[in-house]
Amino acid sequence: MGNLLSVEDLRTYFFTEAGVVKAVDGVSFSMEEGEALGFVGESGSGKTITALSIMGVVPIPGHIVSGKVVYRGDDLVGKSEKEMRTVRGKKIGYVSQDPNSSLDPLYTVGDQLVEVIRAHKETTKQEAMDEAASLLKLVKIPEPETRLKAYPHELSGGMRQRVAIARALAGQPELLIADEPTTNLDVTIQAQILELLNELQAQFRMALIMITHDMGIIAETTKRVMVFYAGMLAETASTSDVFGGPRHPYTSALLAAIPRTDRKRDLVPIPGNIPNLIEPPTGCRYHPRCPYSKDICVQTIPPWEVAGSGRLVACHRWKELKLSVG
Amino acid sequence: MGSLWVYVVRRLLFMIPVFLAVSILTFIVTNAAGNPISIIRFGIRNITPSQLSFLESYYHVNQPLYAQYFYWLSEFVQGNLGQSLVLGGPVSGLIGPWVLTTLELQITALVLSLVIGIPIAVYAAKHRGTVGDVAVTGTAIFGFSMPVFWVGIMLILVFSFYLGWLPPSGAVSAYPPYWWGNQYLDAIAHLILPATVLTFASIATFVRLIRANMVEVLRQDYILGARASGVPERSVTYKHALKNAITPVVTVVGLTFGLALAGAPATETTFSWPGLGYQFVRAASVLDLPVIIGITMIITIMALVANLITDLSYALLDPRVRLE
Amino acid sequence: MSATSSGGEKRPVAAKGRRRSAGQWAVAWRRFRKNKVGLAGLVLVGFFVLAAVYGLFWAPYPPRSFDCLYQGCTSLPPFVNWAHPFGTERSGIDVYSEILHSIPNDFYVGLGATAISVVIGLVIGALAGYRRGFAAALLLGLTQVFLVIPVLVFILVFARIFILEVAEGFGLSLITIILGIFGWPTIAYIVRGEILRIRELEFIQAEKAIGASSGRIVFRHIVPNVLSSIIVVASLLIAGNILTEVVISFLGFGTPNVSTLGLLLNEGFSSIRATWWVSLFPGLAVVMLVLGFNLLGDGLSDALNPRLRE
Repeated sequence: MGNLLSVEDLRTYFFTEAGVVKAVDGVSFSMEEGEALGFVGESGSGKTITALSIMGVVPIPGHIVSGKVVYRGDDLVGKSEKEMRTVRGKKIGYVSQDPNSSLDPLYTVGDQLVEVIRAHKETTKQEAMDEAASLLKLVKIPEPETRLKAYPHELSGGMRQRVAIARALAGQPELLIADEPTTNLDVTIQAQILELLNELQAQFRMALIMITHDMGIIAETTKRVMVFYAGMLAETASTSDVFGGPRHPYTSALLAAIPRTDRKRDLVPIPGNIPNLIEPPTGCRYHPRCPYSKDICVQTIPPWEVAGSGRLVACHRWKELKLSVG
Repeated sequence: MGSLWVYVVRRLLFMIPVFLAVSILTFIVTNAAGNPISIIRFGIRNITPSQLSFLESYYHVNQPLYAQYFYWLSEFVQGNLGQSLVLGGPVSGLIGPWVLTTLELQITALVLSLVIGIPIAVYAAKHRGTVGDVAVTGTAIFGFSMPVFWVGIMLILVFSFYLGWLPPSGAVSAYPPYWWGNQYLDAIAHLILPATVLTFASIATFVRLIRANMVEVLRQDYILGARASGVPERSVTYKHALKNAITPVVTVVGLTFGLALAGAPATETTFSWPGLGYQFVRAASVLDLPVIIGITMIITIMALVANLITDLSYALLDPRVRLE
Repeated sequence: MSATSSGGEKRPVAAKGRRRSAGQWAVAWRRFRKNKVGLAGLVLVGFFVLAAVYGLFWAPYPPRSFDCLYQGCTSLPPFVNWAHPFGTERSGIDVYSEILHSIPNDFYVGLGATAISVVIGLVIGALAGYRRGFAAALLLGLTQVFLVIPVLVFILVFARIFILEVAEGFGLSLITIILGIFGWPTIAYIVRGEILRIRELEFIQAEKAIGASSGRIVFRHIVPNVLSSIIVVASLLIAGNILTEVVISFLGFGTPNVSTLGLLLNEGFSSIRATWWVSLFPGLAVVMLVLGFNLLGDGLSDALNPRLRE
C-alpha cells in the first residue's frame, strides 16, 4: 500500500439545480513517496475534481460524499479548515492550468510568493522576499530580484506558469499536483515546463501527480498512470505497460486518438459524447461508445480487479480482449 | 509608480474638454427655448427695468449666440455667476453654503452605504444560493425599484408624524427647543431620516454589483491557487477576492454618487433639506435663471470631480489600468 | 490535435457570439420560462397592462375629475367606502381611479422614451463600434461625457423651460422625447462594447476571409448578438425611465393636467398630514411596476446570456 497517499472509494458529488452531478464516483488508488503518477482522461472525467478533493478545496456546490483520503496514515476527509491549511501548500502543492488566471492580477509576484511563504512559517518580510527570489531562481526565471516587483500581466505565459509552480513549491510540499500545467502554453514552452517539473521532482524527491488529457505528456513525465472515465477509473498500470498493451477499451481508444506521423493513417476519434454525469449510463459507463460491449456491460458495473503485477482494470471482458496499441 | 502619475495627469487633462462639453450642453439647454430674457420674463412677471438692463448686459443678448456663450463662460470661470433674481445677492455667495449642506447629506449616506453594504454583499456572495443570499438579493432588487423620495415620505409618515421620534424636515432647528437636547444632536436628529433613505437606495445598487462581481471573482483560478497553497481563508476572501471584486465597483461608486447628486432635488425637497437640490427646485419653479444655471453647473462639476476621484482610486487598486 | 477533448477545461463556458439561429431564440425562451425571477417580472408587467386596459373601459371616474367636491366625499380614507377603495384626495380626486388612468401614461413615457433611446443609441453605438477613426473617437467621448454628468438636472431644466413655453397639450410626449434624448448614451455604450467584442471573434474574420460584404456581416451576425444585450438593457431602461418620470412629476416639473403616478405623489405630498393614503397607494403602484421591469430584465439577462455552472 502506498506510504504517501492512499485514496479509498472517493465519491464527490455536485448538488446543482439541474441535478446531482456525480463527478467522482468511486476512485481508489495509492501513491509512494517520490512517485510520478499520471491522471489521464477527457474533460469532465473527474481527474481535476479528484485532485481538488484530495486537497479539500472542492468548489461549491460540491462535497466529498464518502471515501477516505489517507495522507501518511492520516485521513484528510472531514478535517477542519485549520488542519487542512497545514496540509495545503505545505504537504501537497497545486499548480492549475491557466497561467492567465492562476495569479492575482492586483498583486506583484513577490507579494504573492511571500504570502504563501509566511502562511507556512514565521519569517520576516525581508527573509521571505529573499526566499521568494531563490524560488524564482529554482524555476529558472532570469533576474529574479527584478521579477519580484513585476505584476502578472507584465510577464509572458510561460513565465507566469513558472511563478505558479514556484508558489506551489513555496511551502516545500512532498507532493505536487500539476493540473494540465501546459495546456495553455506554446508547444516550445510546454517542453521547457515539463522538463522543469521533471528536474524539480528529481531534485527534491517530490511525488508528482500529472493531470492531463494528452497521452504524450503521460509518456514523458510519469511512471504510472490512472485512466479516468466519467468519474470512475478505467484502468491503472505502469506507463510502459499501458503504452505496450492496454487492457481497457477506452485506454486503447485514447492511444489510437494520438495523431502520429510514423504511420499513414487517418485520425481515429472516439465515437459518441462525454456521458451525462447526472444520469450516467447504467453498468459500465463506457458501454455506449465501446465497440466491444455486451449485455453484461450494460447491466453491471465492472469490478475493479487485478490484471497483472501493479495493474488494475474495470472491464468485464479484459481477459478476452486483445486491444491494439493505437 | 511612474505610470500612475502619467495616468493622473492624463485624466486631469481629459477633464478639460469634458468641462467644456458640459458647459456647452448647459448653454444649449438653457437657451433652447429662447433667449434667457424671454424665459425669465415668463416666470417673473414684474421685472424692474434696472434688473432687466442688468440681465441684458450680463447675458449679452444683443450679440450672436456663440459670443453669448463665450461671455458667459468667461464670467463663470472667474466665479461670477450672476445675481439671483429672487433671493437677491450674487449666486456664487449663495451657492457655497448650499454645497456644504448637500455634501453633508451625500457623504454621510455614501459612507454608511459602503460600511453596511460591503459586508452584506460579501456574505451573500460567499453563501451563494442559500436563503440568506436570496433574501439579500431580493431586498436589493426591491430597494432600487422604489423611488427614493417615496421611501422618505413613508418614513416621515411613520417616524415623524405617527411616532414623533424624528423631525420631518430641515437640516437644523432654527431656534430652540432643539431635538434631543443640544444643537449638535439636533443636527444629527435631522440627518437621520434623509441619510437613511439615501443609504438604503445606494446599498441596493452596491450590494447587487459587489455580490455579482464577488461571485465571478470567487470562481477564478487565483482564488483556488491561493487557497490550495494554504493561504488563510480570511486573506483569500478579503485580500484577493474582495479587492478584485471591488475594483470595477469603485467606478460605480463614482457613478452612483453622481446619480445621488442628480437625485438630490427629489430627496431634498421631500425633507426640505436646504441643499443644492432643494434650492434648484425652488429656483426652477420661479425661473430664477442665474441660480438655475449656477446650480446645474456646480452639481455637474461635483459629479465630474467624484468621477475623477474614483478613476484615480481604480488606477491605484488595479495596476493593469494604468496602461490604458 | 488531440481528439479526446478540447483542452481540459474545468468549467465549460457557452461560446458567446455563436450565430443566433432561430433555434437559439427558442432555447433562450425555454430557459426564460424556467427562470422564476423573469417570470415574476413578466407577470407583474402583464398585470399592469391588464390594469391599463381595464382602466380604459371600466375606471369609475374620468381622469382628473373632481366629482367628490360636489358630492362631499373629499379626503376620504381608504377602505371606508367601497366606491373609493383607496380613498380620495382633498381636491376630490379618487385615488384608485387616478391610478388606473395613470398606468397607460406611465407606460407611454417608459416605453416611448426607451424606444427613442434604443434607436439613437443603436445607430451611434454601431458607428462608434464598427468604424475606426476620429468620428468614432468623438462619438465615444460624447457618450462617456453623458454617462458621467447628472442627467436628471438637465432633464429638469429642459422640462421646465419647454413645458412652460411650449403648448401644454404635448406635455407627456415632450417628457418622453426629452427622456429619450438623454437616455441614448447607456444604449450606445453597450452597443459599442458588444460590437467591439464580436468584431474580433473568429467567425467574423472567417466571413471576411471568404469575402462576405460588410452589410451581410452586420445583419446576419452582429445584429442578433447585439440584440440580446439591448433587450436586457431596454427592460432596465424602461424601469429607469418610469422612475425618472415619477420624479419629474413629483417635483412639479411635469404637466399638471395629465394623470401620472408622479403627479399623484406630488398632490399627496402637499397634503401629507391630512391624506397620507394619496402618497401610499400610487407609490406602491410605482414600486410594483418598476419592480416588474427590473425582474424581467434580470430574467432576460439570465436567459439570453447564460453562464453554465459546474
